[in-house]
Amino acid sequence: MSITRRKFLGWIGAAGAGTLVGKRAGAAANRHFTGHPDSMGVLYDNTLCIGCRRCEAGCNAVNNLPAPNRPFDDLAVMDTPRRTTAYEYMVMNRYDSDSAPAGPFFRRIGCNHCLEPACASSCFVSAYTKAETGAVTYDPSVCVGCRYCMIACPFEIPAYEYDKALDPSISKCHMCHHRIVEGLLPGCVEACPVEALTFGKREALIRIARKRIQTRPDRYVDHIYGEHEMGGSNWLYLSAVPFREMGMREDLGVVSAPQLTHGALSAVPIVVGLWPVLLTGVYAMSRRKDKIAETEKADAVKEALDRASAEAETRLADALAKAESEKQKAIEKAVKSALEEAAEKAGTDSAETTSEEES
Amino acid sequence: MEKGILRSRWGGLPVAAVVVLLFGAAALGLEELLDKPVEDRSDLIVIDSMATLGTLERPPVPFLHDKHTEALEKRGKDCAACHLRDEKRQSPKFMRLKDADYESVMNVYHDNCIVCHREISDAGEKSGPVTCGDCHTKTIPVATGRQPMGFDLSLHYRHSKAQDKKCETCHHEYDEATKKLVYVKEQEGTCRYCHKAQTEENRISMRLASHLSCIECHQKTMAKNKIAGPVHCGGCHDLSEQQKIERVNPVPRMERKQPDVIFVKSSNPEINEKDRRINRVPFDHKRHETYSSTCRVCHHAAMSACAACHTQSGKKEGKGVKLAEAMHQIGTETSCMGCHQLQQRRHSSCAGCHVSIPANRQRSEAECLTCHMPPLTEEAQTAAAGQSGTDPFAAELLASRTPVTDTYGDEDVPEKVIINVLVDQYEPVELPHRKIVRTLVKNIRESKLAAYYHREEGTLCQGCHHNSPVSKKPPQCASCHGKPFDEKQPERPGLKAAYHQQCMTCHEAMGIEKPAAVDCVGCHKERKK
Repeated sequence: MSITRRKFLGWIGAAGAGTLVGKRAGAAANRHFTGHPDSMGVLYDNTLCIGCRRCEAGCNAVNNLPAPNRPFDDLAVMDTPRRTTAYEYMVMNRYDSDSAPAGPFFRRIGCNHCLEPACASSCFVSAYTKAETGAVTYDPSVCVGCRYCMIACPFEIPAYEYDKALDPSISKCHMCHHRIVEGLLPGCVEACPVEALTFGKREALIRIARKRIQTRPDRYVDHIYGEHEMGGSNWLYLSAVPFREMGMREDLGVVSAPQLTHGALSAVPIVVGLWPVLLTGVYAMSRRKDKIAETEKADAVKEALDRASAEAETRLADALAKAESEKQKAIEKAVKSALEEAAEKAGTDSAETTSEEES
Repeated sequence: MEKGILRSRWGGLPVAAVVVLLFGAAALGLEELLDKPVEDRSDLIVIDSMATLGTLERPPVPFLHDKHTEALEKRGKDCAACHLRDEKRQSPKFMRLKDADYESVMNVYHDNCIVCHREISDAGEKSGPVTCGDCHTKTIPVATGRQPMGFDLSLHYRHSKAQDKKCETCHHEYDEATKKLVYVKEQEGTCRYCHKAQTEENRISMRLASHLSCIECHQKTMAKNKIAGPVHCGGCHDLSEQQKIERVNPVPRMERKQPDVIFVKSSNPEINEKDRRINRVPFDHKRHETYSSTCRVCHHAAMSACAACHTQSGKKEGKGVKLAEAMHQIGTETSCMGCHQLQQRRHSSCAGCHVSIPANRQRSEAECLTCHMPPLTEEAQTAAAGQSGTDPFAAELLASRTPVTDTYGDEDVPEKVIINVLVDQYEPVELPHRKIVRTLVKNIRESKLAAYYHREEGTLCQGCHHNSPVSKKPPQCASCHGKPFDEKQPERPGLKAAYHQQCMTCHEAMGIEKPAAVDCVGCHKERKK
């Protein structure tokens, strides 16, 4: 069977359309995922926070984390900015501000539980799950320790157990997923004495946050951090001072990481699915071209051969004819000379022979 | 080979020396000569006078005025060294009376500045730049040290006294008919009403007006060997110099026939008392004069009644701001309620409660009636009719409003409130309830404003016992606050947070440092084992 160019392009087109109507991967999809309905979240309001570090202690207790080097009631720990570590799922940092409103202000650093987590989309063994509670959970049993998630996270949250020689794993806040499913509050929220951390459905938290800004516009920056940042997150933040003054990134945009990378990543199925077809087609086409060329070549050779043999025949015939005539001439000449010789000889011999003959 | 390296090493020395000399010498520029950074000085002027005459070819020149005055004084020179005079006054421009054209103004600067700088440096003294780039620097410093200057009541009184109450020395207005400046007695206003930020038509800018008039007068006074105001930039515009300005306290009342006690004028003063939609507000103008340091806090655009521009439905002259808005707008010092509300935030003894009360909350009728007082009875009117003063009815009505703070007696105010919500972790907390109430009452009584607005017995209690009707026995905190994060009451904190938020917010606003918010055992005694 031969493949024509038209047929081949038709196949390619059909195959391409096929990949478009096909089933989509959950994450890294070409649509905006607005979170699981009724997923939970936490609203941190730094106008209420007193910086007592009870949340850190609460987190430590409910997650059975090792005791810290310095106790939780040592507030001087906050003199230096910190980040999350393998054994501190969340930390509070203090920011002193000279400008009005007078500080200090506090900031919670920990997993924001993105609606479309970059860590999950970067993980090729699917160790991360965006749970229906809103929590981004991590399964150490499948983790291979590549730490792509640490690079992928725009908030630099996942930490790694560098101190473990054997089977180290990633660690990060999991929003106390195990407690939420039991109907309990996350450890940090439960420990907060002033409800600077409010737990509730994300949608409700956004309404609460808006109401607070509306009631006290003099107290808040008119922005809910996490409502749209990187596609939105289940942790939300209200602040009295601009978020950048506390080192919170304001350059992240409102598009989630998976959405940003989906363009390149969605090309993968097309490449994987269509490459063989494409290559086969290209191969077939080049095969066909070779075949045609071969036939043409054979024909040409045949023709050339025919022409050559015909020429040779005529040349041979001519040569033969010429040879024949020459041969004839030679024979005639030989005969003639033989005859002449014979005649000459006969002249002398005739006497002799005549005698003899006569004799 | 080694020798070669050595030679190249030593060979670099002269080059390095030259570099150090060149750049080191350059570093000994302006900054070195000054005791503080250029930006912090109050005398920084950016010379860009040619910008209005053409396109500047080089960046404008930062110029330190006081630095030059100082240097000239040392050489026995005065203002005339740089500022020419016409028959009337000294020109504020440098070495010219008027800006002719781009070229000539440029030459005035180039000729005079460079020549003077050269002369001084030829005499072997430190001098200013003579090359283009040293004056026309690429980066122009911004003067943040320059404080705005203005009169307050004290400074005005001192000037008025020094001028023997000859108001016409400074005050004038423009007469359209004669096209001249005339003085109209008791029509004086602040300079800024006419002299705006930029020069307009026939009126010069506030900056120019004040520099021409103030300095001229100060110089003349000084020439008479009398105590005079500053003539240097820093004298008026430097923060530390400003603080040294002598203050009169108390300031004797200004004499401009302003009212004592009046009813706040409405845009329709002729209306019958019966037909009024809302009671008129008696206003103690005399007392309010002492609450601000200047008249222009309230009289922000004209020295006239508010209703002259702010009519019932607003008009162009009042930028569309209605009378009711002009009186009730929140967040501005210019309106009555705005200023009263700012006082609540400014005074720590008020802020304790008021910081938690939204500024734009709905007011109760009783609160409205505190200002919009029910009119006098007819008998009271006849009694008041003969009295002196701007408006005897208003005065009489206001006199009937006394600053009384009342609350319940000790029998109804529990001495202690025991809070035992966290007994699993701590000993119960003893809240010194009566002590708190009595302190608040004392604080309120000290402020006349506060006293007017806490007249009812239960008003004070509302600071903590909020969101429930005023009552001698208000509901307990736990009646409303319970488990946290109730979906049906999303804005209501749980009991633990309610206590903490209420106590801590108040303590912080009142500046009560002990116990600190993070000091748990400051309030909660350790649990006895």
